[in-house]
Amino acid sequence: MKPLLIALPKGRLEEELLPRLKGSAFELDPKALKSRRLRIPMADPGLNAILLKGADLPRYVAGGVAALGVVGSDILDECPVDLMELADLDFGVCRLSLCGPAATSLERLRALPHLRIATKFPVATGRWLRQEGITAELVPLQSSVELAPVLGLADAIVDLVQSGRTLQAHHLAELAVLGRASARLVACRGQYLSEPDRIGPLARALAGLMKGGTAAS
Amino acid sequence: MPTHTPSFPDLLFADAARLRRWETLLMAHLDAAGYRELHPSLVMRSPDNPNTVRFFDGDQLVALRWDFTEALARTLVRRFQDPPQRLSYAGPVFRRPTNSWDPVERFEVGCEHIHVDREQRIEADRELAGLLMAVPALLGLEGCLLHIGHAALLRRPLEAEAIPRELGLEVARVLDRRAIHRAAELLQGHPAKDRLLAHAEILLSGPDGPGSLDDLARGPYGALLEAEALQLRRVLDRLSSRLPQGLTLRLDMGDLRGLGFYSGPTLRLWAPGAQRELAAGGRYDGLFPELGRPWFAAGFCVRLTTLLELGDPQEEAE
Repeated sequence: MKPLLIALPKGRLEEELLPRLKGSAFELDPKALKSRRLRIPMADPGLNAILLKGADLPRYVAGGVAALGVVGSDILDECPVDLMELADLDFGVCRLSLCGPAATSLERLRALPHLRIATKFPVATGRWLRQEGITAELVPLQSSVELAPVLGLADAIVDLVQSGRTLQAHHLAELAVLGRASARLVACRGQYLSEPDRIGPLARALAGLMKGGTAAS
Repeated sequence: MPTHTPSFPDLLFADAARLRRWETLLMAHLDAAGYRELHPSLVMRSPDNPNTVRFFDGDQLVALRWDFTEALARTLVRRFQDPPQRLSYAGPVFRRPTNSWDPVERFEVGCEHIHVDREQRIEADRELAGLLMAVPALLGLEGCLLHIGHAALLRRPLEAEAIPRELGLEVARVLDRRAIHRAAELLQGHPAKDRLLAHAEILLSGPDGPGSLDDLARGPYGALLEAEALQLRRVLDRLSSRLPQGLTLRLDMGDLRGLGFYSGPTLRLWAPGAQRELAAGGRYDGLFPELGRPWFAAGFCVRLTTLLELGDPQEEAE
Protein backbone atom coordinates (compact mmCIF):
# COMPACT_ATOMS: atom_id res chain seq x y z
CA MET A 1 0.00 0.00 0.00
CA LYS A 2 1.31 3.48 -0.93
CA PRO A 3 2.30 5.71 2.02
CA LEU A 4 -0.47 8.07 2.91
CA LEU A 5 0.28 11.78 2.41
CA ILE A 6 -0.37 14.42 5.06
CA ALA A 7 -0.15 18.06 3.96
CA LEU A 8 1.40 20.42 6.52
CA PRO A 9 1.61 24.20 6.21
CA LYS A 10 4.79 26.23 5.77
CA GLY A 11 5.18 29.49 7.62
CA ARG A 12 3.15 30.84 10.53
CA LEU A 13 1.57 27.55 11.61
CA GLU A 14 4.63 25.39 10.86
CA GLU A 15 6.60 26.74 13.83
CA GLU A 16 3.85 25.82 16.26
CA LEU A 17 2.98 22.55 14.60
CA LEU A 18 6.26 20.68 14.15
CA PRO A 19 7.21 20.55 17.86
CA ARG A 20 3.82 18.97 18.61
CA LEU A 21 4.63 16.05 16.31
CA LYS A 22 7.90 15.13 18.07
CA GLY A 23 8.02 11.65 19.55
CA SER A 24 4.86 10.55 17.77
CA ALA A 25 4.06 8.43 14.73
CA PHE A 26 3.77 11.72 12.84
CA GLU A 27 7.25 13.06 13.64
CA LEU A 28 9.03 14.24 10.50
CA ASP A 29 12.40 12.79 9.56
CA PRO A 30 14.81 15.60 10.59
CA LYS A 31 17.32 14.91 7.80
CA ALA A 32 14.65 14.91 5.12
CA LEU A 33 13.20 18.06 6.63
CA LYS A 34 16.50 19.90 6.16
CA SER A 35 16.93 18.57 2.62
CA ARG A 36 14.93 19.59 -0.46
CA ARG A 37 12.98 16.32 -0.50
CA LEU A 38 9.39 16.74 -1.57
CA ARG A 39 7.98 13.86 0.44
CA ILE A 40 9.21 13.81 3.99
CA PRO A 41 8.97 10.44 5.73
CA MET A 42 7.22 10.39 9.11
CA ALA A 43 8.10 8.06 11.99
CA ASP A 44 5.31 5.70 10.88
CA PRO A 45 6.61 4.16 7.63
CA GLY A 46 3.11 4.27 6.18
CA LEU A 47 3.01 8.06 6.36
CA ASN A 48 4.70 10.86 4.40
CA ALA A 49 4.36 14.60 4.80
CA ILE A 50 4.47 17.38 2.24
CA LEU A 51 5.06 20.98 3.28
CA LEU A 52 2.96 23.45 1.32
CA LYS A 53 2.08 27.12 1.31
CA GLY A 54 -1.19 27.54 3.12
CA ALA A 55 -3.07 28.91 0.12
CA ASP A 56 -2.22 25.82 -1.96
CA LEU A 57 -2.84 23.25 0.75
CA PRO A 58 -6.67 22.94 0.57
CA ARG A 59 -6.48 22.07 -3.12
CA TYR A 60 -3.99 19.24 -2.50
CA VAL A 61 -6.36 17.78 0.08
CA ALA A 62 -9.61 18.37 -1.81
CA GLY A 63 -8.00 16.93 -4.95
CA GLY A 64 -7.13 13.73 -3.09
CA VAL A 65 -3.33 14.07 -3.32
CA ALA A 66 -3.09 14.32 0.47
CA ALA A 67 -5.55 12.45 2.68
CA LEU A 68 -5.22 14.84 5.62
CA GLY A 69 -3.90 18.33 6.15
CA VAL A 70 -3.50 21.17 8.61
CA VAL A 71 -4.43 24.67 7.45
CA GLY A 72 -5.59 27.99 8.90
CA SER A 73 -9.33 28.64 8.94
CA ASP A 74 -8.58 32.07 7.41
CA ILE A 75 -7.38 30.28 4.28
CA LEU A 76 -10.26 27.79 4.26
CA ASP A 77 -12.74 30.65 4.38
CA GLU A 78 -11.21 32.15 1.25
CA CYS A 79 -11.20 29.10 -1.00
CA PRO A 80 -14.38 27.28 -1.99
CA VAL A 81 -13.22 23.66 -2.02
CA ASP A 82 -15.08 20.55 -1.00
CA LEU A 83 -13.26 18.96 1.90
CA MET A 84 -13.93 17.80 5.44
CA GLU A 85 -12.97 20.11 8.31
CA LEU A 86 -12.60 17.61 11.11
CA ALA A 87 -11.35 19.67 14.06
CA ASP A 88 -10.43 23.09 15.36
CA LEU A 89 -6.89 22.43 16.60
CA ASP A 90 -6.83 25.51 18.84
CA PHE A 91 -3.34 26.69 17.92
CA GLY A 92 -2.16 29.46 15.65
CA VAL A 93 -5.06 31.42 17.08
CA CYS A 94 -5.39 35.00 15.89
CA ARG A 95 -8.01 37.60 15.03
CA LEU A 96 -9.09 38.72 11.58
CA SER A 97 -9.38 42.44 12.13
CA LEU A 98 -10.09 45.71 10.38
CA CYS A 99 -7.12 47.96 11.09
CA GLY A 100 -6.40 51.56 10.20
CA PRO A 101 -4.25 54.53 11.19
CA ALA A 102 -4.25 54.90 14.97
CA ALA A 103 -5.94 58.29 14.70
CA THR A 104 -8.99 57.03 12.82
CA SER A 105 -12.10 55.05 13.88
CA LEU A 106 -14.68 52.75 12.31
CA GLU A 107 -17.18 55.62 12.27
CA ARG A 108 -14.76 57.82 10.34
CA LEU A 109 -14.12 55.08 7.83
CA ARG A 110 -17.89 54.54 7.40
CA ALA A 111 -18.25 58.22 6.58
CA LEU A 112 -15.64 58.21 3.80
CA PRO A 113 -17.19 58.73 0.33
CA HIS A 114 -14.90 56.10 -1.20
CA LEU A 115 -13.52 53.68 1.35
CA ARG A 116 -10.67 51.46 0.16
CA ILE A 117 -9.70 48.37 2.15
CA ALA A 118 -6.61 46.34 1.30
CA THR A 119 -6.67 42.66 2.22
CA LYS A 120 -5.55 39.13 1.51
CA PHE A 121 -9.00 37.99 2.64
CA PRO A 122 -11.58 39.38 0.17
CA VAL A 123 -14.24 36.70 0.87
CA ALA A 124 -14.33 37.16 4.65
CA THR A 125 -14.01 40.93 4.27
CA GLY A 126 -16.82 41.11 1.71
CA ARG A 127 -19.09 39.03 3.98
CA TRP A 128 -18.40 41.31 6.96
CA LEU A 129 -18.94 44.47 4.89
CA ARG A 130 -22.34 43.15 3.76
CA GLN A 131 -23.30 42.33 7.37
CA GLU A 132 -22.30 45.82 8.46
CA GLY A 133 -23.91 47.56 5.48
CA ILE A 134 -20.63 49.21 4.48
CA THR A 135 -19.71 49.87 0.84
CA ALA A 136 -16.01 49.72 0.09
CA GLU A 137 -13.55 49.02 -2.69
CA LEU A 138 -11.48 45.95 -1.91
CA VAL A 139 -7.80 46.21 -2.87
CA PRO A 140 -6.46 42.66 -3.18
CA LEU A 141 -2.87 42.23 -1.97
CA GLN A 142 -0.75 39.15 -1.35
CA SER A 143 1.80 40.36 1.22
CA SER A 144 2.83 43.22 3.55
CA VAL A 145 -0.75 44.45 3.63
CA GLU A 146 0.05 46.81 6.51
CA LEU A 147 2.01 49.00 4.10
CA ALA A 148 -1.15 49.91 2.15
CA PRO A 149 -2.57 52.54 4.55
CA VAL A 150 0.90 53.81 5.43
CA LEU A 151 1.71 54.49 1.76
CA GLY A 152 -1.78 55.67 0.79
CA LEU A 153 -2.91 52.71 -1.31
CA ALA A 154 -5.89 52.09 1.01
CA ASP A 155 -7.66 53.71 3.96
CA ALA A 156 -7.64 50.55 6.05
CA ILE A 157 -6.72 46.87 5.94
CA VAL A 158 -8.25 43.58 6.99
CA ASP A 159 -5.53 41.24 8.18
CA LEU A 160 -4.65 38.63 10.78
CA VAL A 161 -3.57 40.04 14.13
CA GLN A 162 -1.82 37.87 16.70
CA SER A 163 0.25 39.97 19.08
CA GLY A 164 -0.43 43.38 17.47
CA ARG A 165 3.28 44.25 17.32
CA THR A 166 3.33 44.61 13.50
CA LEU A 167 0.40 47.01 13.71
CA GLN A 168 2.12 49.09 16.37
CA ALA A 169 5.29 49.27 14.31
CA HIS A 170 3.29 50.83 11.47
CA HIS A 171 1.20 53.10 13.74
CA LEU A 172 -1.97 51.15 13.00
CA ALA A 173 -4.74 50.12 15.39
CA GLU A 174 -7.44 47.42 15.42
CA LEU A 175 -10.81 49.04 14.68
CA ALA A 176 -13.06 45.98 14.54
CA VAL A 177 -12.70 42.21 14.93
CA LEU A 178 -14.25 40.27 12.05
CA GLY A 179 -13.62 36.82 13.43
CA ARG A 180 -11.25 34.27 14.95
CA ALA A 181 -8.84 32.14 12.95
CA SER A 182 -7.01 29.00 14.04
CA ALA A 183 -5.44 25.83 12.64
CA ARG A 184 -7.89 23.21 11.37
CA LEU A 185 -7.50 19.52 10.58
CA VAL A 186 -8.90 18.85 7.11
CA ALA A 187 -9.46 15.63 5.17
CA CYS A 188 -10.15 14.65 1.60
CA ARG A 189 -13.88 13.89 1.43
CA GLY A 190 -13.44 10.95 -0.93
CA GLN A 191 -10.73 9.22 1.11
CA TYR A 192 -12.38 9.95 4.45
CA LEU A 193 -15.68 8.43 3.38
CA SER A 194 -14.45 5.61 1.13
CA GLU A 195 -11.65 4.45 3.46
CA PRO A 196 -13.06 5.23 6.91
CA ASP A 197 -11.16 2.43 8.68
CA ARG A 198 -7.82 3.80 7.45
CA ILE A 199 -8.33 7.57 7.58
CA GLY A 200 -10.65 7.91 10.60
CA PRO A 201 -8.25 6.57 13.29
CA LEU A 202 -5.33 8.57 11.81
CA ALA A 203 -7.39 11.75 11.85
CA ARG A 204 -8.42 11.19 15.47
CA ALA A 205 -4.82 10.49 16.50
CA LEU A 206 -3.50 13.58 14.72
CA ALA A 207 -6.22 15.81 16.19
CA GLY A 208 -5.56 14.45 19.69
CA LEU A 209 -1.85 15.08 19.34
CA MET A 210 -2.22 18.61 18.03
CA LYS A 211 -4.68 19.54 20.72
CA GLY A 212 -2.09 18.58 23.31
CA GLY A 213 -2.95 14.93 23.96
CA THR A 214 -1.09 11.87 22.81
CA ALA A 215 -1.36 10.06 19.53
CA ALA A 216 -1.77 6.36 19.16
CA SER A 217 0.90 5.20 16.74
CA MET B 1 -8.18 30.49 -29.23
CA PRO B 2 -8.59 28.42 -26.05
CA THR B 3 -6.54 25.23 -26.10
CA HIS B 4 -8.60 23.27 -23.63
CA THR B 5 -11.96 23.37 -21.88
CA PRO B 6 -11.54 21.46 -18.61
CA SER B 7 -15.05 22.32 -17.42
CA PHE B 8 -16.57 20.76 -20.52
CA PRO B 9 -14.37 17.76 -21.25
CA ASP B 10 -14.30 16.15 -24.69
CA LEU B 11 -14.44 12.37 -24.43
CA LEU B 12 -12.09 10.74 -26.89
CA PHE B 13 -12.44 7.20 -28.21
CA ALA B 14 -11.77 5.06 -25.13
CA ASP B 15 -13.76 7.23 -22.73
CA ALA B 16 -16.60 7.65 -25.20
CA ALA B 17 -16.78 3.86 -25.58
CA ARG B 18 -16.76 3.37 -21.80
CA LEU B 19 -19.50 5.89 -21.30
CA ARG B 20 -21.67 4.23 -23.96
CA ARG B 21 -21.05 0.76 -22.47
CA TRP B 22 -21.88 1.83 -18.90
CA GLU B 23 -24.99 3.70 -20.01
CA THR B 24 -26.19 0.63 -21.92
CA LEU B 25 -25.49 -1.71 -18.99
CA LEU B 26 -27.19 0.47 -16.42
CA MET B 27 -30.20 1.33 -18.56
CA ALA B 28 -30.72 -2.38 -19.29
CA HIS B 29 -30.51 -3.05 -15.52
CA LEU B 30 -33.19 -0.45 -14.85
CA ASP B 31 -35.31 -1.55 -17.81
CA ALA B 32 -35.31 -5.12 -16.50
CA ALA B 33 -36.77 -3.81 -13.23
CA GLY B 34 -39.58 -2.02 -15.09
CA TYR B 35 -38.09 1.51 -15.26
CA ARG B 36 -38.98 3.28 -18.53
CA GLU B 37 -36.81 6.00 -19.98
CA LEU B 38 -37.90 9.62 -20.11
CA HIS B 39 -35.73 12.18 -21.84
CA PRO B 40 -36.43 15.70 -20.61
CA SER B 41 -35.14 18.63 -22.67
CA LEU B 42 -31.55 19.77 -22.28
CA VAL B 43 -32.82 23.31 -21.75
CA MET B 44 -34.75 24.27 -18.61
CA ARG B 45 -36.67 27.46 -17.95
CA SER B 46 -36.85 29.61 -14.79
CA PRO B 47 -33.34 28.90 -13.51
CA ASP B 48 -32.94 30.50 -10.10
CA ASN B 49 -29.88 28.45 -9.18
CA PRO B 50 -26.66 30.48 -9.64
CA ASN B 51 -24.64 27.31 -10.13
CA THR B 52 -26.34 26.57 -13.44
CA VAL B 53 -25.07 27.39 -16.94
CA ARG B 54 -27.49 30.18 -17.89
CA PHE B 55 -27.96 32.08 -21.11
CA PHE B 56 -30.59 34.13 -22.93
CA ASP B 57 -32.87 32.51 -25.46
CA GLY B 58 -34.18 35.72 -27.03
CA ASP B 59 -35.29 37.70 -24.00
CA GLN B 60 -35.86 34.65 -21.80
CA LEU B 61 -33.26 33.44 -19.31
CA VAL B 62 -32.82 29.66 -19.56
CA ALA B 63 -30.27 27.13 -18.35
CA LEU B 64 -28.81 23.86 -19.48
CA ARG B 65 -30.39 20.95 -17.57
CA TRP B 66 -28.78 21.10 -14.14
CA ASP B 67 -30.57 18.16 -12.53
CA PHE B 68 -32.50 15.23 -13.99
CA THR B 69 -34.78 14.81 -10.98
CA GLU B 70 -36.03 18.37 -11.18
CA ALA B 71 -36.28 18.27 -15.00
CA LEU B 72 -38.32 15.06 -14.84
CA ALA B 73 -40.54 16.41 -12.06
CA ARG B 74 -41.35 19.52 -14.11
CA THR B 75 -42.22 17.33 -17.11
CA LEU B 76 -44.37 14.95 -15.07
CA VAL B 77 -46.52 17.58 -13.37
CA ARG B 78 -47.11 19.24 -16.74
CA ARG B 79 -47.85 16.14 -18.80
CA PHE B 80 -49.37 13.49 -16.49
CA GLN B 81 -52.45 13.39 -14.29
CA ASP B 82 -51.19 10.24 -12.56
CA PRO B 83 -47.45 9.71 -12.44
CA PRO B 84 -45.69 6.89 -14.27
CA GLN B 85 -44.31 4.93 -11.33
CA ARG B 86 -40.87 3.91 -12.52
CA LEU B 87 -38.68 6.21 -14.63
CA SER B 88 -35.10 6.06 -15.82
CA TYR B 89 -32.86 8.59 -17.54
CA ALA B 90 -29.39 8.95 -19.04
CA GLY B 91 -27.43 11.93 -20.29
CA PRO B 92 -25.46 15.00 -19.23
CA VAL B 93 -26.25 17.62 -16.58
CA PHE B 94 -24.50 20.98 -16.27
CA ARG B 95 -23.86 22.35 -12.79
CA ARG B 96 -20.97 24.40 -11.43
CA PRO B 97 -19.10 22.32 -8.83
CA THR B 98 -17.65 23.45 -5.50
CA ASN B 99 -14.14 22.56 -6.64
CA SER B 100 -13.40 24.87 -9.56
CA TRP B 101 -11.31 22.21 -11.33
CA ASP B 102 -14.12 19.63 -11.46
CA PRO B 103 -16.17 19.34 -14.66
CA VAL B 104 -19.36 21.34 -15.13
CA GLU B 105 -20.72 18.82 -17.64
CA ARG B 106 -21.36 15.49 -15.96
CA PHE B 107 -22.88 12.28 -17.24
CA GLU B 108 -25.50 10.44 -15.24
CA VAL B 109 -27.77 7.42 -15.37
CA GLY B 110 -30.52 7.21 -12.81
CA CYS B 111 -34.04 6.30 -11.85
CA GLU B 112 -37.01 7.67 -9.93
CA HIS B 113 -39.81 5.80 -8.16
CA ILE B 114 -42.92 8.00 -7.88
CA HIS B 115 -46.02 6.88 -6.00
CA VAL B 116 -49.31 8.29 -4.84
CA ASP B 117 -49.79 5.95 -1.89
CA ARG B 118 -47.81 6.85 1.23
CA GLU B 119 -47.71 3.17 2.24
CA GLN B 120 -45.60 2.38 -0.82
CA ARG B 121 -42.65 4.35 0.48
CA ILE B 122 -40.85 1.61 2.38
CA GLU B 123 -41.18 -0.88 -0.46
CA ALA B 124 -39.99 1.71 -2.99
CA ASP B 125 -36.94 2.56 -0.85
CA ARG B 126 -36.03 -1.12 -0.58
CA GLU B 127 -36.46 -1.61 -4.31
CA LEU B 128 -34.16 1.32 -5.08
CA ALA B 129 -31.54 0.17 -2.58
CA GLY B 130 -31.62 -3.29 -4.12
CA LEU B 131 -31.12 -1.83 -7.60
CA LEU B 132 -28.23 0.31 -6.43
CA MET B 133 -26.57 -2.60 -4.61
CA ALA B 134 -26.31 -4.44 -7.93
CA VAL B 135 -24.50 -1.54 -9.66
CA PRO B 136 -20.89 -2.21 -8.48
CA ALA B 137 -20.95 -5.77 -9.82
CA LEU B 138 -22.45 -4.58 -13.12
CA LEU B 139 -19.63 -2.07 -13.51
CA GLY B 140 -16.94 -4.50 -12.34
CA LEU B 141 -16.14 -2.52 -9.19
CA GLU B 142 -14.83 -4.22 -6.06
CA GLY B 143 -14.52 -3.02 -2.48
CA CYS B 144 -17.36 -0.47 -2.71
CA LEU B 145 -19.15 0.98 0.29
CA LEU B 146 -22.85 1.73 0.41
CA HIS B 147 -23.61 4.43 2.98
CA ILE B 148 -27.14 4.64 4.35
CA GLY B 149 -28.21 7.88 6.01
CA HIS B 150 -31.45 9.65 6.88
CA ALA B 151 -32.17 13.33 6.27
CA ALA B 152 -34.68 13.50 9.14
CA LEU B 153 -31.97 12.76 11.74
CA LEU B 154 -30.94 16.40 11.64
CA ARG B 155 -33.97 18.01 10.04
CA ARG B 156 -36.46 16.97 12.77
CA PRO B 157 -34.37 18.19 15.74
CA LEU B 158 -33.78 21.51 13.94
CA GLU B 159 -37.53 21.87 13.38
CA ALA B 160 -38.32 20.80 16.96
CA GLU B 161 -35.99 23.52 18.26
CA ALA B 162 -37.54 26.12 15.90
CA ILE B 163 -34.20 26.84 14.20
CA PRO B 164 -34.87 29.21 11.25
CA ARG B 165 -34.60 27.46 7.87
CA GLU B 166 -31.57 29.45 6.63
CA LEU B 167 -29.66 28.86 9.86
CA GLY B 168 -30.63 25.19 9.75
CA LEU B 169 -29.27 24.82 6.23
CA GLU B 170 -26.04 26.55 7.25
CA VAL B 171 -25.71 24.21 10.26
CA ALA B 172 -26.28 21.24 7.93
CA ARG B 173 -23.68 22.60 5.51
CA VAL B 174 -20.93 22.82 8.14
CA LEU B 175 -21.88 19.47 9.68
CA ASP B 176 -21.66 17.92 6.20
CA ARG B 177 -17.99 19.01 6.37
CA ARG B 178 -17.86 17.35 9.84
CA ALA B 179 -17.04 20.81 11.26
CA ILE B 180 -18.88 20.61 14.55
CA HIS B 181 -16.84 23.56 15.87
CA ARG B 182 -18.36 25.73 13.13
CA ALA B 183 -21.86 24.55 14.13
CA ALA B 184 -21.05 25.66 17.68
CA GLU B 185 -20.22 29.15 16.36
CA LEU B 186 -23.42 29.30 14.31
CA LEU B 187 -25.61 28.24 17.25
CA GLN B 188 -23.90 30.56 19.73
CA GLY B 189 -26.49 32.01 22.10
CA HIS B 190 -29.32 29.70 21.05
CA PRO B 191 -31.01 27.95 24.00
CA ALA B 192 -30.86 24.56 22.24
CA LYS B 193 -27.16 24.86 21.38
CA ASP B 194 -25.88 22.23 23.82
CA ARG B 195 -28.59 19.71 22.92
CA LEU B 196 -28.05 20.14 19.19
CA LEU B 197 -24.27 19.87 19.51
CA ALA B 198 -24.57 16.71 21.62
CA HIS B 199 -26.82 15.30 18.90
CA ALA B 200 -24.38 16.37 16.17
CA GLU B 201 -21.55 14.57 18.00
CA ILE B 202 -23.56 11.35 17.74
CA LEU B 203 -24.38 11.90 14.05
CA LEU B 204 -20.75 12.62 13.20
CA SER B 205 -19.26 9.78 15.22
CA GLY B 206 -18.29 8.23 11.89
CA PRO B 207 -19.66 5.82 9.34
CA ASP B 208 -20.44 2.88 11.56
CA GLY B 209 -22.61 -0.16 12.03
CA PRO B 210 -26.06 -0.33 13.62
CA GLY B 211 -24.42 0.16 17.06
CA SER B 212 -24.52 3.91 16.52
CA LEU B 213 -28.33 3.72 16.46
CA ASP B 214 -28.13 2.80 20.15
CA ASP B 215 -26.17 6.01 20.76
CA LEU B 216 -28.85 7.89 18.87
CA ALA B 217 -31.55 6.38 21.09
CA ARG B 218 -29.65 7.49 24.22
CA GLY B 219 -29.06 11.00 22.83
CA PRO B 220 -31.10 14.16 23.42
CA TYR B 221 -33.48 13.45 20.52
CA GLY B 222 -33.75 9.68 20.97
CA ALA B 223 -37.52 9.79 21.56
CA LEU B 224 -38.16 12.25 18.73
CA LEU B 225 -36.27 10.08 16.24
CA GLU B 226 -37.56 6.70 17.39
CA ALA B 227 -39.45 6.02 14.15
CA GLU B 228 -36.49 6.98 11.94
CA ALA B 229 -34.09 4.87 14.00
CA LEU B 230 -36.44 1.88 13.71
CA GLN B 231 -36.76 2.44 9.97
CA LEU B 232 -32.96 2.60 9.57
CA ARG B 233 -32.49 -0.54 11.66
CA ARG B 234 -34.98 -2.42 9.47
CA VAL B 235 -33.39 -1.11 6.27
CA LEU B 236 -29.94 -2.19 7.46
CA ASP B 237 -31.20 -5.63 8.51
CA ARG B 238 -33.01 -6.16 5.23
CA LEU B 239 -30.14 -4.95 3.04
CA SER B 240 -27.46 -6.81 5.01
CA SER B 241 -29.17 -10.09 4.24
CA ARG B 242 -29.16 -9.33 0.49
CA LEU B 243 -25.73 -7.74 0.27
CA PRO B 244 -23.77 -8.79 -2.83
CA GLN B 245 -20.24 -10.06 -2.33
CA GLY B 246 -17.62 -7.30 -2.28
CA LEU B 247 -20.02 -4.56 -1.17
CA THR B 248 -19.90 -3.22 2.40
CA LEU B 249 -22.93 -1.60 3.99
CA ARG B 250 -22.44 1.24 6.46
CA LEU B 251 -24.72 3.49 8.42
CA ASP B 252 -23.58 7.10 7.95
CA MET B 253 -25.72 9.33 10.13
CA GLY B 254 -23.45 12.23 9.19
CA ASP B 255 -24.62 12.17 5.57
CA LEU B 256 -26.30 15.58 5.62
CA ARG B 257 -25.69 16.68 2.03
CA GLY B 258 -28.83 17.95 0.36
CA LEU B 259 -30.76 18.38 3.59
CA GLY B 260 -32.96 20.98 1.92
CA PHE B 261 -34.01 18.39 -0.66
CA TYR B 262 -34.02 14.93 0.92
CA SER B 263 -36.71 14.01 3.43
CA GLY B 264 -35.96 10.38 4.34
CA PRO B 265 -33.39 7.61 3.88
CA THR B 266 -30.38 8.50 1.70
CA LEU B 267 -27.96 6.30 -0.24
CA ARG B 268 -24.40 6.98 -1.33
CA LEU B 269 -22.15 4.54 -3.12
CA TRP B 270 -18.41 5.01 -2.70
CA ALA B 271 -15.69 3.33 -4.69
CA PRO B 272 -12.16 3.02 -3.31
CA GLY B 273 -10.00 5.87 -4.59
CA ALA B 274 -12.91 7.98 -5.86
CA GLN B 275 -12.90 11.64 -4.87
CA ARG B 276 -16.68 11.86 -5.20
CA GLU B 277 -19.45 9.38 -4.62
CA LEU B 278 -20.20 7.05 -7.50
CA ALA B 279 -23.93 7.20 -6.90
CA ALA B 280 -26.23 9.19 -4.67
CA GLY B 281 -29.92 9.37 -3.98
CA GLY B 282 -32.68 9.07 -1.46
CA ARG B 283 -36.25 9.95 -0.60
CA TYR B 284 -37.44 13.46 -1.50
CA ASP B 285 -41.12 13.74 -0.61
CA GLY B 286 -41.13 17.55 -0.68
CA LEU B 287 -40.54 18.19 -4.40
CA PHE B 288 -43.86 17.14 -5.97
CA PRO B 289 -46.06 18.86 -3.34
CA GLU B 290 -44.05 22.05 -4.08
CA LEU B 291 -45.02 21.62 -7.73
CA GLY B 292 -48.66 21.09 -6.81
CA ARG B 293 -48.94 17.29 -6.82
CA PRO B 294 -49.39 15.13 -3.70
CA TRP B 295 -46.91 12.49 -4.86
CA PHE B 296 -44.11 10.75 -2.99
CA ALA B 297 -40.78 10.03 -4.63
CA ALA B 298 -37.30 8.58 -4.26
CA GLY B 299 -34.49 7.86 -6.67
CA PHE B 300 -30.78 7.68 -7.26
CA CYS B 301 -28.31 8.58 -9.97
CA VAL B 302 -25.04 6.94 -10.91
CA ARG B 303 -22.36 9.53 -11.66
CA LEU B 304 -20.58 8.17 -14.70
CA THR B 305 -18.13 11.09 -14.73
CA THR B 306 -16.74 9.88 -11.38
CA LEU B 307 -16.40 6.43 -12.87
CA LEU B 308 -14.54 7.82 -15.89
CA GLU B 309 -12.07 9.49 -13.52
CA LEU B 310 -11.46 6.12 -11.85
CA GLY B 311 -10.50 4.44 -15.11
CA ASP B 312 -12.04 1.20 -16.29
CA PRO B 313 -12.13 -1.41 -13.51
CA GLN B 314 -12.92 -4.23 -15.96
CA GLU B 315 -10.03 -3.39 -18.28
CA GLU B 316 -7.65 -3.05 -15.33
CA ALA B 317 -8.76 -6.46 -14.02
CA GLU B 318 -8.01 -8.01 -17.43
